[in-house]
Amino acid sequence: MRVSGSPSARFRPRDLVDVVVVGSGAAGGIVAKELATAGLTVVVLEQGPRLERQQFEHDEFKYFFRNGIVNDPERQPQTFAPTPDQQAKRGAGRLMYARLVGGGSVHFTANYWRFHEIDFVEASRHGSISGTGFADWPITYADLEPYYTKAEWELGVSGVPGPFDAPRSRAYPLPPMPVKASGVLFEEASRRLGLHPQPVPLAILSEPFGGRMACHHCGFCLGFGCEFGAKSATLYTVIPVAEATGRCEIRPQSYVRRIEIDERTGRATGVIYFDEQKIEQRQRTRSVVVCANGAETPRLLLMSRSNRFPDGLANSSGLVGKYLMFNGYCTAGGTFERLLNEWKSVTASRMIHDFYDADPARGFYGGGGIDARFAGYPMGFALGGVIGTLGPDMPTWGADYKRLLRESYSRTMYAACHTTSLPLAANAVSLDPTLKDDWGQPALRFTYQDHPDDLATMRFLQAKALAILEAAGARRAWADPVNPSTFAVHLLGTCRMGDDPRTSVVDRYNRTHDVRNLFLCDGSSFVTSGRGQPTCTIQALAYRAGEHIAQFARRGEI
Amino acid sequence: MLEDVMHRRAFVLASCGAFASAWLATDPGKLGASLAHAARVRAGRGAQAWEFFTVDQAADVDAISAQILPTDDLPGAREAGVAQFLDHSLSTWAQGQRDDFTSGLDDLNRRVGDRWPGVGRFATLSSERQIELLRVVEQTPFFQMMRFATIAGTFANPSWGGNRDKAGWRILGFEDRFFWEPPFGDYDADVTGSGK
Repeated sequence: MRVSGSPSARFRPRDLVDVVVVGSGAAGGIVAKELATAGLTVVVLEQGPRLERQQFEHDEFKYFFRNGIVNDPERQPQTFAPTPDQQAKRGAGRLMYARLVGGGSVHFTANYWRFHEIDFVEASRHGSISGTGFADWPITYADLEPYYTKAEWELGVSGVPGPFDAPRSRAYPLPPMPVKASGVLFEEASRRLGLHPQPVPLAILSEPFGGRMACHHCGFCLGFGCEFGAKSATLYTVIPVAEATGRCEIRPQSYVRRIEIDERTGRATGVIYFDEQKIEQRQRTRSVVVCANGAETPRLLLMSRSNRFPDGLANSSGLVGKYLMFNGYCTAGGTFERLLNEWKSVTASRMIHDFYDADPARGFYGGGGIDARFAGYPMGFALGGVIGTLGPDMPTWGADYKRLLRESYSRTMYAACHTTSLPLAANAVSLDPTLKDDWGQPALRFTYQDHPDDLATMRFLQAKALAILEAAGARRAWADPVNPSTFAVHLLGTCRMGDDPRTSVVDRYNRTHDVRNLFLCDGSSFVTSGRGQPTCTIQALAYRAGEHIAQFARRGEI
Repeated sequence: MLEDVMHRRAFVLASCGAFASAWLATDPGKLGASLAHAARVRAGRGAQAWEFFTVDQAADVDAISAQILPTDDLPGAREAGVAQFLDHSLSTWAQGQRDDFTSGLDDLNRRVGDRWPGVGRFATLSSERQIELLRVVEQTPFFQMMRFATIAGTFANPSWGGNRDKAGWRILGFEDRFFWEPPFGDYDADVTGSGK
């Protein structure tokens, strides 16, 4: 939904603009809006297309099996191995991200958990963990709180504070979404177990807000774009505001391959990208903010190596691409007597944070949250929702299989566990030495192996989730296998934030230690993983970085 | 793509649990279920004119899919039009998978001949014998491809040429609408007090 009649700016590549933002997603959209409203000229280069809300479809096959709005492993191949000493293989793993204007904020589930105070100071609270890069953030929850509030109020978030939440300066702008059947079962059972359920805060409108419609409960949140604009994606919220300034151009189908540096001054001077026709263009700029996600941001820096930066741009620490974190994810499922119809409305409506904090008494580091959520879309449920979960003795075809689908689809819910991942230097994004993408650029290679504590945390939370489903009276309840991670949508930690240039890539204002007019802001800035719902913190960081970058620009400090 | 899907399904399922199994994506954006074809299928066109399959192959595919999701008091894969969905897919965006399906069908029919000489093709077997043979091959890539195709052809959006008259969604009790109101299920209705 564009602001009608807004004179969206148009720049030529040879025009010298104040800022190029690479990526228009959860962070990039906010940075663009903050800088354009502060009076700067901004070009946002987005590799994907621009879709308007009327173009989003309820098409599971296209969106989940045909890469409808996500990166395409055929044109943008990736290679994976668990450890750096193994040969990385194509198709063995996958880092997935939304590839369109609005990025991940368009297709995410819209879970909108703030971090807790502990997330920023965990290493000093629990002590270091040998063999890991476990560290405190250079900023605290108090530093970020005003920006959490700003995000919730500018974008539109529905919720009520829970008993474990960190202090907030302002209530949520909107009441929580209506409870679902899964939420009722989960809430009653977890209370009986002495736990403290709360409504899930969601970046989805429970009431009309900011000229946008409320949610219509169609059920197509996770993985889909909202045809009503009720999900608070940057596409519907801050991007139209940025464009309405007349100083911001969103340029879709623009795939960036290199940030150019003046070898003498060490400053970023331009951004080279392929346009829709795969013709190379060079946008001149006074500064660059990369918001391309925790996979593509480090890849772009590594692709931008030069005489001055032989190991990759802004990589004097050697940490660009390192400390990749996913968040652990595992589930327990339950099928009940009566109808849940979880395929209606938002993905999740109740959660617990009782096990959020790590506890040394458990014998391992880690914590997380559990939410009560839907059982998947029809194809996904028929393919794996039943067979992957109910065990090897359950039918996968035939009359009994059909009966199982028929009886269980509208009566099943999951309790999903979202957990910590420790930062390990060997878990990393790098460039594949041989494989190229369709633009002739080095393919993304990644290595990842869960820390034993990450797996222990997942199993610990999963046992709690299973106990809740059993207490809720599930006719059948089960725990899905917890296996090593090879697939992720939360892409975190690969250009970590810190005060010391030897042990971090960006400073506390998201400026790279090495290049004065180069900033990075997205999941790559994370020092620790949080508990599985990173978007809220990515967006708070983006508001904070945007405000500071505008101040630096005003003071001539860029 | 279908075999590829099964490989990816295995690792995604293994790594991320049930929900993420839906997050497996297959090969490229050669998007394009021809909507015209889908409309033709929906409209019905009397004697089936197959785009890719021979009449015999189509009958086998139809029979296999009908064993994977049989018809009972509700429609199954046959009524959903899985054979037409697969035929059209192999003629358009899944052309690269043609050999996998034809060689898989050939292999299956060789097994039919070995087991029951002189009987003919899979489609002409009794239902009991069809099930017996499919149990033997259920771990093969071909059967897994057929299972995926059956699920896609039954439960994907009808715009892809299957799920005719939303037959698949009726099995699940699922309805694709843009608009629902609470209460959504029985348990939340109990609490909010309003009837469904």
